[in-house]
Amino acid sequence: MRLETHLRASIVLIALFLASGLWLEAMLGLRAQGWLDDPLRREFLRLGHAHGGVLGLVNLGLAWALERLQTPAPWARKIRVAGLLGAGLVGLGFMLGGLLHGPTDPGPAVLAVPAGAMLLLSALIATALVRPGDLPPSTKAET
Amino acid sequence: MTGGRHHGILAPALLFGPALCWALAAVIGLVWTLGDREAWTTLDRHGDPVAGSDSCRSCHPTQWSTWHQSWHRTMTQSAIPAAAAHPLAIARSAATPAEILAPFAGEHLDYGGFRATMSRDPDGRPRVRVERLDDAGELRSAGAPVLDVAVVLSVGSHRFQQYVAAVDRAPDSAGSGELWRLPVAWHRAERRWIHMNGAFVEPEGELGSLADYERHLSRWNDNCIFCHNTEPAPGTEPAAARFESRVGELGIACEACHGPADAHLERHRGKPFRRLLADRRLPDGSITNPARLDPARESAICGRCHGQRIAKDIAAVLREGDSFVPGDLLAAVSRPIFADTTIASVDGLDHGQPFAPRFWPDRTPRLSAYEYQGLLLSPCYAGEPGEAGEPGLGCGHCHAMHGDQPDGQVRAGRAGQGACVSCHAVAELGGASSPGGHGGHREHRDVDCLGCHMPKTTYGLLEGMISHRITSPDPGAWLGRADQPDACTQCHVDRSRAWAADAMAGLGLRGSPPTRAESPEERLASRVVLDLLGGDPLQRNLAAHALAQPGATGAVADRLAWLADGLEDEYPSVRWFSWRAMRTLAEQTGDAELLAALATFDYLGPIDERVSAQVRVRDRVGPPGLADWPELRERLFAEREGRALWIGE
Repeated sequence: MRLETHLRASIVLIALFLASGLWLEAMLGLRAQGWLDDPLRREFLRLGHAHGGVLGLVNLGLAWALERLQTPAPWARKIRVAGLLGAGLVGLGFMLGGLLHGPTDPGPAVLAVPAGAMLLLSALIATALVRPGDLPPSTKAET
Repeated sequence: MTGGRHHGILAPALLFGPALCWALAAVIGLVWTLGDREAWTTLDRHGDPVAGSDSCRSCHPTQWSTWHQSWHRTMTQSAIPAAAAHPLAIARSAATPAEILAPFAGEHLDYGGFRATMSRDPDGRPRVRVERLDDAGELRSAGAPVLDVAVVLSVGSHRFQQYVAAVDRAPDSAGSGELWRLPVAWHRAERRWIHMNGAFVEPEGELGSLADYERHLSRWNDNCIFCHNTEPAPGTEPAAARFESRVGELGIACEACHGPADAHLERHRGKPFRRLLADRRLPDGSITNPARLDPARESAICGRCHGQRIAKDIAAVLREGDSFVPGDLLAAVSRPIFADTTIASVDGLDHGQPFAPRFWPDRTPRLSAYEYQGLLLSPCYAGEPGEAGEPGLGCGHCHAMHGDQPDGQVRAGRAGQGACVSCHAVAELGGASSPGGHGGHREHRDVDCLGCHMPKTTYGLLEGMISHRITSPDPGAWLGRADQPDACTQCHVDRSRAWAADAMAGLGLRGSPPTRAESPEERLASRVVLDLLGGDPLQRNLAAHALAQPGATGAVADRLAWLADGLEDEYPSVRWFSWRAMRTLAEQTGDAELLAALATFDYLGPIDERVSAQVRVRDRVGPPGLADWPELRERLFAEREGRALWIGE
């Protein structure tokens, strides 16, 4: 994934989860049943909205950091995919887990949240640790 | 991180490996759990112990919270500190301290020639002492109190709170394990003490008679224990003439409706995949969810207490409880009481139908705690599984135990017409297109479906309550009858039943042609006035109640004058209804003088004080109903003497 794609996808992610906030607010204003009467659903939709938006911003920071730190392109491409996928999974996992939930716990979709969190965490750690000269052997030969 | 340590697989493995491993583990966990029979099969929980409501809280916080604010929770509470020894075996005690509503600060209640003094022990425990009064109404200087006990339990908290103490009533019965309901209770709305004789529909007792004073000193172990606690077992031991009563939890707690939860806790504790997959497609057989039961089984849970019944094996029930687990059919353990219910051993009583006085002549229950029977008699109820008909109405259609309204626990959107329109489309009802709509009452904001189809013709706990038998008014069919109130004249309190029958035709509603001629007195006074003067005690209670209801027709001045007759009634409950209705109307009109006169009236006070107050009230409101027909008044009064009732709910 290229820098430009990462930046654009991050902004789209932020826009989508901000828009979900508008939806949540509208449901509150319209006193939608199934939203007001369901604290578990409310909590998880809010968590999805907040995490998706904030992690979209984290991805903007990630894109900026990868550029500033001159992270080698083979690493940067994969970090970008992991970061974006992680943010999306966390946000969607919370939201879907809240929308389709059982009597006491969120639905199975919430299991995507830890997977997303691991992806994002791996991406952040890799961004912090990988240096400009760190290239896999195969790509070293190419350069 | 050096280039030498890198391999082609390293970057994706580090970045995507942990998430992929987690995803794989999650999928395996879900698939395995879906196929795990142990996670979902239905378990037999008969005889299982109660786990206690506190164990439900962490997983079901919202449901726990709505239950915690319900009147069900405070149905029975311990007045003894948790650390102290309790005469009752309680399997699970809630952490919440008891809410004792009465002050127990030395206040007293004089009634029937006795004085009850409510105070506290040095350790703060509530106490009731009953002593005999002399003819001058003073405490006798000599003699032991007739009762001096520490309160063990409180029962109820919504309308009034009753108190229970350990009392050894019979000679040589020390250590009998008996708990007795005390003869005084705290009325929550009025913030006053009342005597239990004034809480039931029965005539006044004889002044100075201890038997009359203690008429409702009833044994808790084999009475109140059943419907006011979770998994009760009276523990009667006939051979030893003692009780070893025990309850799963005091009050109506989670497991009263969901059944014993030990197996459910065991099944789900530390098993997150089971909890994630728990939804409608995978019903959990370790607990009962009333919302997933058919209407008959769901309503049976409520009917266990809100429908008086006779156990199939009374001896077993008095020993171990009824063994009912929510989800069972009540018919498996008992039969509901109806007007024609018989008991083999009491064939000679009331023609073998000892419960008939608890029902109106058309067999509609006229007491609370028969709501289940009302439902069973309603056309909207479809019957038990396997019977013909569409899925019908159950208690859960209108009531929600986990809503935010503790009073009545009505499901959101199901109050008033909301109860009916989800099944009966407004546009398809008879007369829907006429100017007044179906029923012709569209313009009257105090009238909804319930006013006509579930009128307030049920008595309970010093209140007029809606009938749970859904019916359509048919005043024409009851013309000439004086033995049952009808929906129309309970609102049109200034009208006769003949007027109501004519009005039905005028509104284009279905109604029977008159089966009998109108009686002479029906031409002179409204149905409610005739009931108040000449009806049986329940009719008199409900007539007084109707006269001050929102939407009641007729001039307030007339209604006040009619109601003042009720202040003289020999039944305390009728005096209570009349006094409260007059106060409501006087508050509406802002009549300070009348309010002051009413403030001097105590429905349980000595007769001379009551007469004095009643004279003041009468002076203020004018002549009584049918004042111009004294012979008719006398005849009505004479007739009601033959309609005595003794109803201990």
